[in-house]
Amino acid sequence: MIDEQLGFVYIKENCLQCHGCEVACKSWRNVELAVKYRRVKNIWIGAYPNVKCQSVSISCMHCAEPACVDACPQNAIHKRPEDGIVVVDSEKCIGCKACGQACPFGVPQYGKDGKMQKCDMCVGERTSGMVDPPCIMTCPTQALALSKMDVARKQDAEKSMKTLVDAA
Amino acid sequence: MKDKQDQRQLDRRSFLNSMGVCVCGTSLYGLPPFSAYTLNEAMAAAQEGGEKAIPTFCGMCGPSSGCGIYAFVKNGRFIRVAGMKECPTNQGAVCAKGQAAPQWVYSPQRLKTPLRRSGAKGEGKFQEITWNEAISIIADKLKAQKKQYGPESLAMLSPARRSYSDYMQRFLIVHGSPNYGHSGICAMQRAFAFSYTLGGQPMCDYQGSDVIVVWGKQPFFSGPAQSGAKNYLAAKKRGAKIIAIKPSIEPDSGMADIWVPLRPGTDAALALSMLNVIIKENLIDASFVEKYCYGYDKLQEHIQKHTPEWGEKVTGVPARQIQEVARIYATARGAGIDLGNGVEHAPSANDAIRAVAIMMAVTGNLNRAGGGGNRLGGGMGPGGGSGTKSVNLKERYTQEMVNKLVAPEFPKVFQPFMEGTSSAYYSILDSVLTEKPYPVRMVIAPGTQPTVSTRGTKRVIEALKKLDFYVVVDVTRTADMNYADIVLPTETVYESDHPFESMGGSIMARSKVIEPLGPYKSIFEFFLDLGVAMGYGEDFWQGSMTACMNDLLSPLNLTIDDVRKYPLGKSLQPSGGAPGGAPGGPGPGADSGGRGNFESIFQAKSGRLDGAPYLPQGKVAIYNTTFEKEGYKPLPEWREPPESVTGTPDVAMKYPLTLSDYHTSKCYTASWQRNVPYLREVQTYPMLHIHPDTAAARGIKNDDWVIVESPHGWMKVKAELYPGIRPDTVMMLHGWWQGCTELGLEDFPIGDGGANVNNLYSVDPDKAFDPLITAMSSQTLVEVRKA
Repeated sequence: MIDEQLGFVYIKENCLQCHGCEVACKSWRNVELAVKYRRVKNIWIGAYPNVKCQSVSISCMHCAEPACVDACPQNAIHKRPEDGIVVVDSEKCIGCKACGQACPFGVPQYGKDGKMQKCDMCVGERTSGMVDPPCIMTCPTQALALSKMDVARKQDAEKSMKTLVDAA
Repeated sequence: MKDKQDQRQLDRRSFLNSMGVCVCGTSLYGLPPFSAYTLNEAMAAAQEGGEKAIPTFCGMCGPSSGCGIYAFVKNGRFIRVAGMKECPTNQGAVCAKGQAAPQWVYSPQRLKTPLRRSGAKGEGKFQEITWNEAISIIADKLKAQKKQYGPESLAMLSPARRSYSDYMQRFLIVHGSPNYGHSGICAMQRAFAFSYTLGGQPMCDYQGSDVIVVWGKQPFFSGPAQSGAKNYLAAKKRGAKIIAIKPSIEPDSGMADIWVPLRPGTDAALALSMLNVIIKENLIDASFVEKYCYGYDKLQEHIQKHTPEWGEKVTGVPARQIQEVARIYATARGAGIDLGNGVEHAPSANDAIRAVAIMMAVTGNLNRAGGGGNRLGGGMGPGGGSGTKSVNLKERYTQEMVNKLVAPEFPKVFQPFMEGTSSAYYSILDSVLTEKPYPVRMVIAPGTQPTVSTRGTKRVIEALKKLDFYVVVDVTRTADMNYADIVLPTETVYESDHPFESMGGSIMARSKVIEPLGPYKSIFEFFLDLGVAMGYGEDFWQGSMTACMNDLLSPLNLTIDDVRKYPLGKSLQPSGGAPGGAPGGPGPGADSGGRGNFESIFQAKSGRLDGAPYLPQGKVAIYNTTFEKEGYKPLPEWREPPESVTGTPDVAMKYPLTLSDYHTSKCYTASWQRNVPYLREVQTYPMLHIHPDTAAARGIKNDDWVIVESPHGWMKVKAELYPGIRPDTVMMLHGWWQGCTELGLEDFPIGDGGANVNNLYSVDPDKAFDPLITAMSSQTLVEVRKA
């Protein structure tokens, strides 16, 4: 496993549920309609009148041990050794959706061409002035960040995101 | 052209280099700095992508959004938006609406050309004409009507304050009509009740308060990239106790410490019963009351009937919770109230706001020594505040004009108020049907859609059918353009280079991002062109926006060309004229150290023609002699909405649930922008928030289509099972009608059976309006069933 890799940090206490990240992602990457690389959801906690709510903004977690990589029969998905970003090779992808079944976060998306697409942390899209992907840059309250993390921290991030996504 | 653009970019860069560019790297409100583009970064990024980055500001919401952006253009096409890190308003953040701007600009639903109606009203048959033809047709009609019926036969609709509101006022004043049609449900209602109780508008001190009451307010979705949301989060982080008062949970109230789930429209009853607790338990600042309040003894007597038990019956909030929040509020070291637009939608709005104002005063939470509470002395309202000339020509108001108001938003004696003279938006249209006191003959609706923006859709449609002449001016097609005689398509702000914006002590020109995509002009040019065509050229800069801007800037010894040299805005030296207070911060005149200058605040003069002060006793008007003199109640009272479980129990037998609607959403500005696919994907359908138990009792599941029926009309929308709402209440977002071409979503009908909540409310003139400030009721009773 890659010892130091990039991961998203999501600070739920800061999220306004404004969907700025979600729409920034679509606009900057020109994502086709009905496909979402990032989505914002509401989570209910408790019952009336003791109700609270929380937010979650989720995209590909670029997992320490990505289930999608193992599930792909074409070896079309791989985790980059240099930074841990999980990328999909659309030349190899046959659109069998095995990755969609395997992913615990519901991340893989299939557009008009039937092939899998998802967040790649805007690798290769970032120009020199662009420190972070647009989802992070546009956030009014710094609810999102990119961070270098070791495997243990990455797995912690995955675990807490899994709890949020399952509740949403 | 390209060379010129490159040259300008070069100029900007060398300018920035020479100035060393002041970039806000430090954080406000204790949050760390975050990444977005500076001008240099934006230029560099653009260059790498073969693009251009144009510094300007966003135009997707609000009267003057002021969020700085870099608009990216490739091969002449506006492709995306980045936040402007240097802009004090948004500090680099951009919300969903701002990010989706290019899709709005290139929407297939843009109006293509000016149109003249060729079929029957409502039929939707038009012939294409030119902008100039349209202007002269309107001007000819307006001249004839002015001669035959007087200038007051013209009304313009302005539901909320917009960047062009002062241009509307200017046109009306020059023309001689007082009929600026304000909604009666937005900001001015608070401004009125607060001013006539406290002499000004109390800003909630988010930084200094131990307790913050967020009341009828949506602090996140109204400008999420601006200070409101950040103030809220920062207060939460430093441990302030947050009390949220509204009928349902949204992300802001979802993180509050205490949620007070009141029935929609019962804010006045809640405030009165909180006052009852505060007074009965003597949780008051006795010396402030003694020195600065008028009529406390009368309130003591009056408030006895508003017990927490009575409050529980009306509001649905348990008596012990009313006591709890009243005590927390009144005994905190500093407790601020952020009173939102939600309280302005009920026939008891004026008294709700007055009762809250009185609560601030008697508990000593106004200009509290050492901070916290509410700060008095500033104020919102028109006037750039940056020292530029006002577009409004208020000095020309006469008693004769005031007397001609067709449907005064505030009684004539109180006019003009802060924005100028005004009639109530809905009631202007109603005058066409009732002809009382006279029928308005021409309505100009710039950027507003009366069939979906105000209540009483059925009567509004009848009025538009009967109206002599209706003019629609907008960017995309509108809900009621088929009733228009003339439709004028305007530029989006991204296709326009004017006017300028003042924010945070600086002034910034708007830059044109792309050339207009059609034969469009700006909404500002519409008023200038019509002014010239009417023979009012002298008052309308002979039709030149450049001359207009130079005139407005003249007190600062600046021209618009001077301002354009500063792509990030020209900062202004503080002048004699006090700038408007920052939202959430103390306003000018408030002394953050001590209790300050109540003597002068309480002498503030109103804008009415007789110049009377807001507070005749020079004290907080607990007992309001000004209102009493004009025949209104001197002390705040509870007044039921037209239909409610406590006011009309017979109606509640058939329609047991209370319905109200949200006016702020994360994705849309009012009734606009449902056509923008990236936004519509987030909020695809009109969703009725209904408690899971309430839904289960009716066999309704999540996402089911449901029929919502009131005594006045019905709609068909989807159910969202929503744990964070009172089980006896259902709510939904207003403004639904428009389809989204790209997503294959069709329009909803405007009338019954569509998704237009306005069909369901009463517009009974005796019951649905606040008697003093014309606030309209957004409450009724409904039953919900599976469609």
